[in-house]
Order: sequence, then structure tokens, then C-alpha cells
Amino acid sequence: MVKDVLELRGLQKKIGLKQILKDVSFQSSTGDLVAITGVNGAGKTTLFRILAGLMPKSGGQALWNGENLELNHCRVGFIAHRPMLYGSLSVQENLAFFGQLYETGSPERVQELLELVGLWLYRLEPASVLSRGMQQRLALARALVGNPSLILYDEPFTSLDLGGRDILRQVFAEYRPRTIQLVISHELEHFQDLAYKEIRLEEGRAVQGGNGRG
Amino acid sequence: MGRFWRKVFVIYWKDLREEFRSADHLLATLVFGTMLVFVISFALELVEIGSAQVFPAVLWVSVFFMAVLALQRSFAKEQEDGTLDALLLASGDRSVLFYAKFLSSLTMLLLLEAIVVPLLWIFIEVETAKVTFWFFLAALLLGSWGLAAAGTLLNGITAQLPGARLLFPILTFPILIPLLIGAILCTQRALAGEVAPVLGWLYLLMIFDLVFTVLPLVLFDYVLEG
Repeated sequence: MVKDVLELRGLQKKIGLKQILKDVSFQSSTGDLVAITGVNGAGKTTLFRILAGLMPKSGGQALWNGENLELNHCRVGFIAHRPMLYGSLSVQENLAFFGQLYETGSPERVQELLELVGLWLYRLEPASVLSRGMQQRLALARALVGNPSLILYDEPFTSLDLGGRDILRQVFAEYRPRTIQLVISHELEHFQDLAYKEIRLEEGRAVQGGNGRG
Repeated sequence: MGRFWRKVFVIYWKDLREEFRSADHLLATLVFGTMLVFVISFALELVEIGSAQVFPAVLWVSVFFMAVLALQRSFAKEQEDGTLDALLLASGDRSVLFYAKFLSSLTMLLLLEAIVVPLLWIFIEVETAKVTFWFFLAALLLGSWGLAAAGTLLNGITAQLPGARLLFPILTFPILIPLLIGAILCTQRALAGEVAPVLGWLYLLMIFDLVFTVLPLVLFDYVLEG
């Protein structure tokens, strides 16, 4: 199986007068689970927005299999701080809508994902009535519905209960053979029993934090 | 190209479902438009001006304000709900979003007009004998198309800026001036049944619509780049 390679070379981002990212360089390939750590304001979310193609970089290179990473260059699954859902649409409609856009949202796939995140019983409920934790589970299903090759999780454990955290760790393991997974998290104990690499953002630079097993 | 328009349709259909399911915004815009028509018609009862002179101005004032209210939400709501990023990632093409939002805004505007225009027609008591209906409808459709296209583009530009709700109407008005002048003149002549002198204005409306419908295909990638 061909491995995808994500490579950052001296990535920079300046917003206004502030240099958020000064020199971020690292490489990851399919199968990697990378924990991105750093203090608040270190530029972790900015880095994710650039990798997702939602924000232009100011300098350096972000390469996907050697080519410039852009919005539609690879399939990106993105879990952000907010669940990014339509409150007036039902759980099933939300997922089917994004599945239709990715052209991967067959009814069977939607059911499979809703069962995976434990929301099949709530499929007819509007997303707005779900608790924050359940919305986060639906956001996880949304991020997976497009069969991504790069998954970006921005503090995905926030608001999840124990069951939700187990589901997330199950997704980390299941999607590992076919994706590159980058996870912003302050608590590395969440990666229990999973081998991972740590990259710490310090003063706008990426510092290899070594490998770990949570 | 088929995939592009399929994605446009998926987002367009989602927008309509959302709009009709929580119909409060659509109803608020409709009530506002109806009130505007009623108040202006009532005020004009007190002065003696021919209906053919008054009708085009009242019509386009109402349509303009309804359009501003209806259009203001297209991108702003996605921005507020945090869904704009998810849409961009899933559609993979920023111009898909423009055409979907443009079509849903145009549909909303035409629906609102379908209710407000007949009311205005009745309140102002327009004489129908001379009216060139096809020209009247062409002016209404081209004017609404231009309002929706230019409004969607400007809404995309302002949605990511602080003070978007204030900036949008301020920026929109000067750009829409040629469109509004053309639409008012064409409507006026359509009511009088003398359309030949304003055919040039109808062509101007077509050119305006064409520019603001095609321009975003190249421009929208930069508009929504965060």
C-alpha cells in the first residue's frame, strides 16, 4: 500500500504584526499518530487551519506527497473547537449532507458511522438538542464521512465522556493504517496504549518531543 | 462540471431546508417587506402622484431592503455557526459555495417578491391596461438576479470582517446603484407600455448580472481565504 507523506518545511504564518509560526518543520506518513502540544497561543490551531487549506501560509512549504497542500489536495477530516454542525438538521441529515458533498455518504455508510459514534438511536433528533459531548461525537462522524487521508483533531477529548473517549481511541486505532492523524491535546494520557509521536510547538517552532506510548 | 453543480445543488437544497424549517428569518423579512409596502402606500395616499410614477420606486425600495435582510444571512450564518470551514473542506471549491448561496438567496428573494409585489400592485392601484408584462417581469427577474449575485459576493467578502452586519449594507448600496437605476427605469416604462427607450437599460441589467455571476468564479477563492 502506497503511503501518503505530509511534509512541512520552515512553515511560517504571520497575522498582522504577530509572527505566529516562525519555522515549523516535520514529516509524517500514513500510519502516524502525532500529538501536537504547546502552550495556549503557540499556534497549534493556526497550524491546523493551514494544513486543512483554510488559511494561507506566509512562508515555507506544506507538501502532500511532494506537492503544495491546498484546500482540495487531499481529503481532510477536521474536528475543530466547535462541532461545525447545522442545528436545525437532524443528526442523520447532518451526516448525509456532508457525505453527499464528499460523495461518500451512502445510507449504509451514514448508519455505520452513527453506530460507531453511538448516535444511531438519536439519528432523527435535531443536532441543536444534543449535548455538547454528543455533538462532538457527531463532529467525529462528520470528520470521517469523507474517507479522509489526513485527520486533524483539535482538542477532540474536550466535552467527551468516558464512552466518547473510548470511541475516539478506537477511531485512532482503526483509521491508523490508512491515515495520518494529528491531534492537538494537552493531556497525553488520553493516548493510552497507542504509540504516538509528539511534536511540541515552542515560540513558533516545532520541537520533536520524542515517541511515546500513553 | 457535473460534480461541481451536484455539490452546488446539495448545498442549495440544505439552505432551503434550513430556511423553511426555522422560518423565523424568512417570515421576519416578509413582514418587514409587507409593512414597508403598506406604510409607503398609505403615506402616498396623502399626496396626489400618479401610480405609474410611484410604483417603481416603492417596489425597488422594498425589494432592496428585503434583499439586504435576506442576503445578510447567507454567509454570516455559516460563519456564526462555525460551519463555513466544514463546508469549504467538504465542497473542496470555494466557488461552489458562491453559486449555492447565490441560488438560495435568489430563490428566497423571488418567493418574497411573489407575495409583496401583488400586494403593492393592489395597494397602489396600478392601471393594468398599458402594462407590458413581459418587460416588467424581465426587469424584476434581472434586478433580483443582480441583487442576489452582487449581494452574495459582498456578503462573502464582509462575513469574515468585524462589523459585518454594518459593513454589508454600506458596501452593497453604492455597487448596486446602476442596477437599481436601471431596474426602476425599466419598471416605470413597462408600466407605461413604452419599453423601446429603455432597452439599453435592460441590456445594462443583463451585463451587470453576467459580471457578478461570472466574476466570483475567479474571485471567490481569494474572498473566502482566511
